[in-house]
Amino acid sequence: MHLAGQFVRRILQGVVVVLITTFLIFSILRIVPGDPVRLIVGGMAPDNLVEEIAQKMGLRDPIPVQFGRYLSQVVQGDLGNSYQRPKNGMMGQGGDFNANMDVEMAEVSDLILERLPYTLQLAGLALLISLIISFPLGISAGLKPKGFISKIAFFISSVFVSIPNFWLGIVLALFITIKLGLLPSIGYQNFAYTILPAIVLAVETCPFIIRTISVSFAEISQEYFIKSGKVRGLTRNGVIYRHTLRNASIPLLNLLGIQLSTLLGGVIVVEYIFDYPGLGQLTIYAVLQRDFPLIQGIAMVTSALYVGLNIAVDLITYSIDPRLES
Amino acid sequence: MSNLLSVEDLSLKDRSTSNNVLRNVSFNLREKEILGVVGESGSGKTLLSQAIVNWLPENLVISSGEINFLGKKMSAMSENELEKEIRGKEIAYIGPNAINSLDPTYSVGAQLLEKAVSIDKGNTSKEILKQKVISLLDDVLIPSPEKRFYEYPSQYSGGMMQRAMIVDALLSSPKLLVADNITMPLDVTVAAQIIKLMRVLRDKFNTTIIFSSSSLPIVREISDNLIIMKNGSIEEQNSTNEITSNPKSEHTKELIKNTPKIWSENINFQNIETKPILSIKNFSKSYKVRDKNKFNSFYEVKAVRDFSIDVYEGENLGIIGESGCGKSTLSRLISLLERSDTGTITFNGEDLSDLNKDKIKNFRQSLQLILQDPYNSLPSRQTIGRIISEGLLIHSQLSKMEIKEKVLSIMSEVGIDQNEYNKLLVGKSGSFRQRVSIARALILEPKVIILDETLSSLDQKEQEMLLSLFSDIQAKRNLTYIFISHDLAMVRKSCNRIAVMYMGRIVELAKNEILFDKCGHPYTRTLLCTIPTLDKNPYDKNLYLMDGEPPDPTEIGTECSFKSRCPHFKNNKKGSTDMGLIEIQSGHWVDKCGVDCGR
Repeated sequence: MHLAGQFVRRILQGVVVVLITTFLIFSILRIVPGDPVRLIVGGMAPDNLVEEIAQKMGLRDPIPVQFGRYLSQVVQGDLGNSYQRPKNGMMGQGGDFNANMDVEMAEVSDLILERLPYTLQLAGLALLISLIISFPLGISAGLKPKGFISKIAFFISSVFVSIPNFWLGIVLALFITIKLGLLPSIGYQNFAYTILPAIVLAVETCPFIIRTISVSFAEISQEYFIKSGKVRGLTRNGVIYRHTLRNASIPLLNLLGIQLSTLLGGVIVVEYIFDYPGLGQLTIYAVLQRDFPLIQGIAMVTSALYVGLNIAVDLITYSIDPRLES
Repeated sequence: MSNLLSVEDLSLKDRSTSNNVLRNVSFNLREKEILGVVGESGSGKTLLSQAIVNWLPENLVISSGEINFLGKKMSAMSENELEKEIRGKEIAYIGPNAINSLDPTYSVGAQLLEKAVSIDKGNTSKEILKQKVISLLDDVLIPSPEKRFYEYPSQYSGGMMQRAMIVDALLSSPKLLVADNITMPLDVTVAAQIIKLMRVLRDKFNTTIIFSSSSLPIVREISDNLIIMKNGSIEEQNSTNEITSNPKSEHTKELIKNTPKIWSENINFQNIETKPILSIKNFSKSYKVRDKNKFNSFYEVKAVRDFSIDVYEGENLGIIGESGCGKSTLSRLISLLERSDTGTITFNGEDLSDLNKDKIKNFRQSLQLILQDPYNSLPSRQTIGRIISEGLLIHSQLSKMEIKEKVLSIMSEVGIDQNEYNKLLVGKSGSFRQRVSIARALILEPKVIILDETLSSLDQKEQEMLLSLFSDIQAKRNLTYIFISHDLAMVRKSCNRIAVMYMGRIVELAKNEILFDKCGHPYTRTLLCTIPTLDKNPYDKNLYLMDGEPPDPTEIGTECSFKSRCPHFKNNKKGSTDMGLIEIQSGHWVDKCGVDCGR
């Protein structure tokens, strides 16, 4: 098997996808109303000053020119500096104009790298919890599609899929943190702060994983090469572990790739509720402040993560089932 | 000699309907015997096989009787004992579904090794077991087994998978091998190779075999004794010779009567002396396939190579060949569903190669294609009348009433009741559906109909009925048929002239009687020697049966592509390997190299 050629081809395609996403975000930010310069200099500043600064920042150039300039920076590894966040972490006050023009602004890459580990930790834990719940339920439901466990799995999935995440987040914070005092929930000081938001996210992803596992297990179990394992003289467990699980894992891997990408990019609501310092929360503030470089940086990083994860998933599935590689 | 297996009064019951699906079956099997079981689909031969290996579908249960294996009652054994000692160990099973028998995500070798390890329970090192697997793959004549060991099931052909499954069964050195319909999905040439292999293996490994099939001629070739089954019970059992020469029961007599005759029945076709209605000159078609081993590179599969033929008005032309020889590509090229890379096509004196749209639209009316699969080639959500009228809706300006009238008259012509006009195809049989396909093709009053394996999914009786329908319609409408098929018995009955295709080329073209009696090409002979028939076959299998599989279509060069399998070439190592048809007798064309090796 020569995955190297595939790999190179997919990476090139991925770069194109990331470029297109970035360009879309870049253009839309500049087309929709909301001038970042006004927010930088403050509401009291005269219009001609706003215009002067905008000219200086290059924001009045045609969009393709601005994008070219941005790209040439990005290629050199520079995602630009935030419009709003100074390096020392102090936010400027909106009222006094020109207040933060002299302050050195934080680099977008630093801002993202600072938040990324928290998001990774949250996404990882959420996925782990949902796998722990889904695997036993999904597999036993898939092996006996008419059995009791299958009904339980269906029940749990239906309940989980109907719970709104903001409601669950608030309820958990209320009961577990405030009433029972078991786990902390607002902000971040240590690992314990990750657990409650992770549970909320896990409840969201569980139904999809349970469904995928049980359906693909049930389907693969009907394949002749599984059913004939018995008459070939293989043991039942051997067939399940070595063959059913392996074949059923392909749709599961595809789903996990998508779920993990979503968890990394957009857990905005949950991070907001728990005031969790991840990428999602950073995104919200960046958008509210029209912080163009930061929004672009986040979009680029998350789309690169998305593309990378899906390439990885495809390569893993190719190595499991060589027929897929064509 | 003692009995290896004795089945006493065995009946099987369906739990949900409480019908008996197998009734009072009794027989004895001696060691080293090969017992043949013959029955149509639904006669219970598969259920009998599955009962013997203790692998019945969940809804079936043994309602009476007993299976004794080596003097032990199977019903007294626990499931644990059956799993550890019997199933897949002492009694091995091979089924018809070889191509789906192994996990597509592991190499074939790894899965055979998995079974070997599972049986061996860790007494022997993996390396020794691997050598055992490879030597067995060699025994079943899989070429370069060390390399094939690492290939995946999707890289194996149907015949090779069946061989691999035979290895799978032999790994445990079983006392009894149950081979259920194993030749069913295979080409006749490959099936004949498998039968030959089973006999060799029986002698080598001293295995007792139960061999079931729906084809009496195939079972006759291998079995010592025969059981004829019908509707779940035994109609007759005796030695193979006795049953075929002196059948007792009515059912057996009928079975023998319905088995296609090839040489013992006279055929009589009129000489067709008309002008060609369709001329194909130098058709070739290659497909580009991405080479997975290199970055961004392709290799060529040559599906059809330099194909030329004249089709005469009113004749039945047969084009035969093994699967993968390019027959279906050819039918798509002739019907202009795909463009050929080279060559010209002339219809009724008009050259169609310039792609003139009006000409092609007319041509599509005049030439119709009827496909193999009557289930997927018809839309299931349209009424029968709507399906048949499709062509008129596209090609004619007739009013709704006129169209309906025409559809109804065509329906009665092909033997469909007019009441079916507003019904759907749900639950209709294969032959009924093929009648609908025929009506759909006939409605445009075509001149030529291509029948691409149209009859191969139907059983013997249905085939006969449709063949007589074809000849009735032909007499009425002066139609020309091109039968594309792998079924030599069917072609023998229905075609004036026959072209034999191998690796995308015609290797021989002759009148029916000349081809069957005095064929000129060694490949034609190997095809003819494998026809399952009760007749005396003038071509001796021991001399003419070829080994191996067709060569890789990406690797064929300019010399004779049959070289690698040609029995003549192997024996003599000389003779021309040039290609190109030459006429050795009026109307009898043979590939150049075949003329030299043919005699």
